[in-house]
Amino acid sequence: MEALDRDGALAETAEPLGLCDRSELLRWIGGASLLVGGLALPRAARAASRKEDRDILNYALSLEYLQASFYTEAERLKSLRGSFKEQARVVGSHERAHVKALQGLLGAAAIKKPRFDFQGVTEDQSQFRDTAVAFEDLAVAAYKEEAPRIRSPELLAAAIRIHSVEARHAAWIRHLAGALPAPDAFDEPKSRRQVRELVASTEFVVAKPTTRSSDDPNFIG
Amino acid sequence: MLPQRPQRLRGLGAVAALIGAGAATAGAITLMHEGPPSRAGTSLPRPADPAFLVGHPAKLADRPHTSWWAPVRHGAIARRAPTPSAEPVALVRRRTPEGTRNVIQVLGRARGRSGALWVQVRLPSGTREVTGWLDRGALSGYDFVNTRLIVDRRRLRATLLRGGRPVFSTVVGVGQPSSPTPAGEFYVRNRLTRYRSPAYGPIAFGTSAQSTAVTDWPGGGFVGIHGTDRPELLPGRVSHGCIRMPNRAIRRLGELMPIGTPITIR
Repeated sequence: MEALDRDGALAETAEPLGLCDRSELLRWIGGASLLVGGLALPRAARAASRKEDRDILNYALSLEYLQASFYTEAERLKSLRGSFKEQARVVGSHERAHVKALQGLLGAAAIKKPRFDFQGVTEDQSQFRDTAVAFEDLAVAAYKEEAPRIRSPELLAAAIRIHSVEARHAAWIRHLAGALPAPDAFDEPKSRRQVRELVASTEFVVAKPTTRSSDDPNFIG
Repeated sequence: MLPQRPQRLRGLGAVAALIGAGAATAGAITLMHEGPPSRAGTSLPRPADPAFLVGHPAKLADRPHTSWWAPVRHGAIARRAPTPSAEPVALVRRRTPEGTRNVIQVLGRARGRSGALWVQVRLPSGTREVTGWLDRGALSGYDFVNTRLIVDRRRLRATLLRGGRPVFSTVVGVGQPSSPTPAGEFYVRNRLTRYRSPAYGPIAFGTSAQSTAVTDWPGGGFVGIHGTDRPELLPGRVSHGCIRMPNRAIRRLGELMPIGTPITIR
């Protein structure tokens, strides 16, 4: 956890509450295999490439859902002030635009938005700051890991345009948090496993509450 | 110390030269790309166009009619003030009498003296305003809705608003004079379908409203919004306190009204 969370930004939000549906989380983030073996025909190879690219896009979408929901909730709850309020407003609008674009591209193949429980970090400016730093660093590292795997040059061209925006977000929030915006000369990517472990440790992704039933109503009639 | 004016000018000039050099380099690459192959016999390929573009970022829509709710994470005592020593108001359970996850409408937030976060919630009741304070940890993640159901007992109509504008209206049956439908502010807690009882029609919404007249009902005497097998009685004051509507109307409401929708009964 410490190795993944360089600034310890998410550590304080990782208190286990025992309510996260792990299987749902694992399905949600990075569940699909990237490698499609044994396909020798060019047509099958192209299809595999499309599937791999689609898989990468859905992975990106899962991270964009996380970020967009985080900033949107903080803005809706009006819990931030000054520069952080402005940062959440601007970055939130970017993340929502990323979600919309990826959903539009994936169409029916887009994964559904999961339910989030940010456990109060959107309601406290210092917790928001630390979580935002971790999320933005995470997004930059995740895009960096996936970009070289993208087969389609057109998709790669689009992905690196998002990646650089995420890097700007990371620099902005790091500056606001008093951290060095660019601490290293050469950035390292984060694997899906690392990202999955880090997101899972927050328990921000939760199961949808069961609010439907087919039991006979007990209402007074 | 700031450099002397000539030095600063030289510095700015150097920056301008650098930008100019960048432009020249870009121009040279363009020429190489568009012109004949270099001595090595290669030319730079044209960069791929992006497969998609990201649209203009839109600011969060101003939604003045938005309200929020959250599932109950664990049973907790709601208190009169945001402090653990405040007088208890009610026990908030994790499950509803129908076995679904309990959800609760959130009205506001405050920090207690110790710095802990508390949320003000609307409690299930049969009266106009019963609120209490819960430790934030008792609730799961927030959800937001911009719908509201208005039930007018005098006109015997229910109207669903979205963003403050009516999107659905129907005649209703409400409680008889001996068991009136309670007036006040409530919210939708759950949605039941495919049950056996035909008296409730095809869909029944559970609410946080409790009858003050029917107190010995199993499950606490909660008011539902549901269909009927006696459509000829609508509109009218015909129920034990529930809000009945034609089956076609409750099906339509089932498509339009999300969980957590606030209900005003007047």
